[in-house]
Amino acid sequence: MLLQLNNIFKWVQQGGQRIFLLKDVNLEVEEGEFISIMGPSGSGKSTLLNVIGMLDTFNEGEYEFLSESVHTLKEKYRSNLYKEYIGFVFQSYHLLDELTVEENLEMPLLYKKVKGSERKALVADMLDRFNIVGKKDLFPTQLSGGQQQLVGVARALIGKPKLILADEPTGNLNSQQSEEIMQLFQKLNKEDGVTIIQVTHSEKNAEYGSRIINLLDGRKI
Amino acid sequence: MFKNYLKIAWRNLWKNKGYTIINVGGLALGMAVTLIIGLWILDELSYNSYFKNKDKIAQVFQSQTFNGETGTGPAIPRPLEKGLRDGYSDNFKHLIMCSWTNNHYLKYGDKSISRPGNYMQQVGPELFGLEIIKGEKDGLREINSIMLSESTANALFGNEDPIGKTVTVSNEHKLNVSSVYKDIPVNNSFNDTDFIIPWEKYLANNEWIRNAEDQWGNNSFQMFVQISDNTSFEKITNTIKDVKKNLNPDSSEFNPQLFLFPMEDWYLRSSFENGKQNGGRIKYVWLFGIIGAFVLLLACINFMNLSTARSEKRGKEVGIRKSIGSQRGQLIYQFLSESFLVVLFAFFLAMLLVVLSLNGFNELSKKEITFPWDNGIFWLISLAFILFTSLLAGSYPALYLSSFKPVDVLKGTFKSGKYAGLPRKILVVVQFTVSVAFIIGTVIVMQQINHAKNRPVGYDKEGLIQIPTFSQDFVGKYDLMRSEFLGSNAVVEMSTSSSPTTQIWSNRSGFTWEGKPEGFQEDLAWTEVSSEYAKSLNLKILEGRDFSREFATDSLGVLINESAKKYLGLENPVGMLLKDDNDEDPGPPLKIIGVVQDMITQSPYEPVKQGVYVYDRQNNASYYNLRLNPNESASKNIVTIERVFKEHFPDIPFEYEFIDSEYGQKFASEERIGTLSGVFTALAILISCLGLFGLTSFVAEQRKKEIGVRKVLGASIFNVWNMLSKDFLKLVIISCFIAVPIAYFIMNGWLQEYPYRVILKWWIFALAMVGAMLVTILTVSFQAIKAAKANPVKSLRTE
Repeated sequence: MLLQLNNIFKWVQQGGQRIFLLKDVNLEVEEGEFISIMGPSGSGKSTLLNVIGMLDTFNEGEYEFLSESVHTLKEKYRSNLYKEYIGFVFQSYHLLDELTVEENLEMPLLYKKVKGSERKALVADMLDRFNIVGKKDLFPTQLSGGQQQLVGVARALIGKPKLILADEPTGNLNSQQSEEIMQLFQKLNKEDGVTIIQVTHSEKNAEYGSRIINLLDGRKI
Repeated sequence: MFKNYLKIAWRNLWKNKGYTIINVGGLALGMAVTLIIGLWILDELSYNSYFKNKDKIAQVFQSQTFNGETGTGPAIPRPLEKGLRDGYSDNFKHLIMCSWTNNHYLKYGDKSISRPGNYMQQVGPELFGLEIIKGEKDGLREINSIMLSESTANALFGNEDPIGKTVTVSNEHKLNVSSVYKDIPVNNSFNDTDFIIPWEKYLANNEWIRNAEDQWGNNSFQMFVQISDNTSFEKITNTIKDVKKNLNPDSSEFNPQLFLFPMEDWYLRSSFENGKQNGGRIKYVWLFGIIGAFVLLLACINFMNLSTARSEKRGKEVGIRKSIGSQRGQLIYQFLSESFLVVLFAFFLAMLLVVLSLNGFNELSKKEITFPWDNGIFWLISLAFILFTSLLAGSYPALYLSSFKPVDVLKGTFKSGKYAGLPRKILVVVQFTVSVAFIIGTVIVMQQINHAKNRPVGYDKEGLIQIPTFSQDFVGKYDLMRSEFLGSNAVVEMSTSSSPTTQIWSNRSGFTWEGKPEGFQEDLAWTEVSSEYAKSLNLKILEGRDFSREFATDSLGVLINESAKKYLGLENPVGMLLKDDNDEDPGPPLKIIGVVQDMITQSPYEPVKQGVYVYDRQNNASYYNLRLNPNESASKNIVTIERVFKEHFPDIPFEYEFIDSEYGQKFASEERIGTLSGVFTALAILISCLGLFGLTSFVAEQRKKEIGVRKVLGASIFNVWNMLSKDFLKLVIISCFIAVPIAYFIMNGWLQEYPYRVILKWWIFALAMVGAMLVTILTVSFQAIKAAKANPVKSLRTE
């Protein structure tokens, strides 16, 4: 078992009323799964993903990640945990504009305190694997959206995470670019055994996954 | 990791060049001001530090009370020397008598120069620790010897070896050069001592000084001491304070109190009020220290404001870094190192600015400050200064930026809303409060100077020069010179006086007159003058007449000024007698022949002192006062005067001073303060405006979408400009209302020190406020109009 959510509630206070973002969500994820979270706008998909990614907190319930109870951990341990095991892919890529492709890839390794020579090797590997060696010295703004997202995925993968969280990874891409990214995910999932949880609007993209979770108004249905 | 931080910092700075220029430039400017002020303060504090025994040296001062008013000064009587040597010598390692510093003519071969110097007792050079570079250490041993400063020796002897050569002083005393000492630096109380002659020679030359040996009332000398190792100034002061009173019971009516005035305080804390030490220049050290700190604060506020204003851009980076695994501490570290980089940059730029502007600053402040390249302590302080500034400027942005939640910033829902703007607003208010207070302060200083400058001096100082006549050569030549000068057509009137027109050199007491109140202890300024004194100065005679050579009895006549008439309580003074009842050296009674208008001889900020002008019977003239021919150019007159002078005194260097420029010296200190604070104020405002400019551009960008929507809905350019400017203008108005009472309080206190002072008018404050608002509107408008004119389609499309 990779992670387990038990009776997760998350709400915000608005005008004396509780607005529930997540309502009694239970979820178990095994290693090697490829899950798609679907639902209409405002149903809590991204919130759920952020809770899983430990970027966001919740108000009630329990969350276990690799048998650690996340809800009791301090920020420092939490960030160590997700730094080690989780990689993020964002809809708008979120690369650092001031850094080159190569430097963007290197950044997670810096935070993991990987040694210089090893860092170089890992980055070179990744550039090679994603066929972007020729673009390593370019800045993100010099790349197309598809290429940027490729770098985004590569950055998520470089720390060898067990889990990749992708929030509408193809939301800003055209159909051909989308397909390439989804095929890449599928390949990673099948060949490297990386667990993937993605949020998506597209039925077609959801098909790539092994399981679909539907949310409506913060509830699993 | 650090490399990665630097890289991203560097690229960020490079990408936002405008922002970087404002930020680094503003900070550099602020740091340069602080650095320069720091160097100035260091220089002030190191005054007199050339003397190695600085903390053991003191001058003997005395306070005396006349009519309930206590005056304090360095002048002491000669018998005190014996008194202290006889009974209290344990307390002192050395004790010397010393003359006042006066200009003398030094002549060697056909070279003749005029230089200031002193007469001192033998251990003087040792007490002060002068650095002897040639000749014998004990240079005052022989009565006919003279010690010269290096530059004076060079001026007289050039490449020749001066030791053993004979110098003629004041055209009559032949003295042998015994040693040459290194020039005493400018920031030293003895910086104008260019030669030293043995005290014994002083006695041998002057009968009145020999006579003063047991005259307790003749306070005409200075005494310096180096105290023994195991005692303190306070202890000795306690022992010796009543020595004069005890040895000379007659003086007890003035309650003379002796005390040691430590060298440490000579320069910075030399002001006395009613016998108590009362600050002095130290207040300017504090003033500029505070200005420096504030200017630095202003620059740091810019940095904080611009950094946090850019938070939306940096927010995304924070979010990404956090989602990749950065901890808050690491982000704080990152932002601090970034601010360190900026500050380091700014510091180098500031150093460049300082080096470039140091000459100009030296000229303004009358200093000889050099950049302390080789001073390790300076670099250490600089490093601390850089670290401190980067913490001051960087801590708030670092804490603020690193606190962002990744989910908020990455989702794009993050807006630095009303809350985030508040600290920024407070900082802007602080900036403009300081700037407005600076403006008001500077305007008031300038006004006060002008006020004093416009005060009537009582005589006509234009076209009036003085020529020093210290040497014996001038004795008995006055009538001849007068007819020569008048005949040369360059001079229309001429007189002599025992002190310069712009100063009082002598004060007397011990007179009686009809109607003198019982127990009244008078204190009169005393100047000895020749006939036509008032006429040559264009000094108005209010009653009676000027000294005239037509009345032989005028040699026992006296002119009094208006203040003296009031002071002595005389209704019809002309014809009354002023009897000299001095115990030690009584003179004949003097008949008042006239009352002249008050003339400003001391501080232009203070009331004119009561004074008398007596006929010079004993050749005490120190100056010729010449009224130039107004129908000729001044330069032509001077050439003629020099020619006539040289005909009669070929061995004496021709020196002269224009009275109006001598008078102008009285404003030098205040003018310097005024100019400096004007410069610093301008820089403070510039720095604040730079910040405001940067801030507006960010706000305009932040509200781009809002502006676009408003324009689509029909807002005009004026509406948008108004909307953007109003916010800042509000802040500046708040600043004005905080600054005005603070400035009023401080400046009012400053003005209290000047008895003759300008009255604070409300419009000064109004002017400063309007000025600050105008500057704000100008600064803000540039960006506001640019934002308002932008095509709304563009700004809306980016969303």
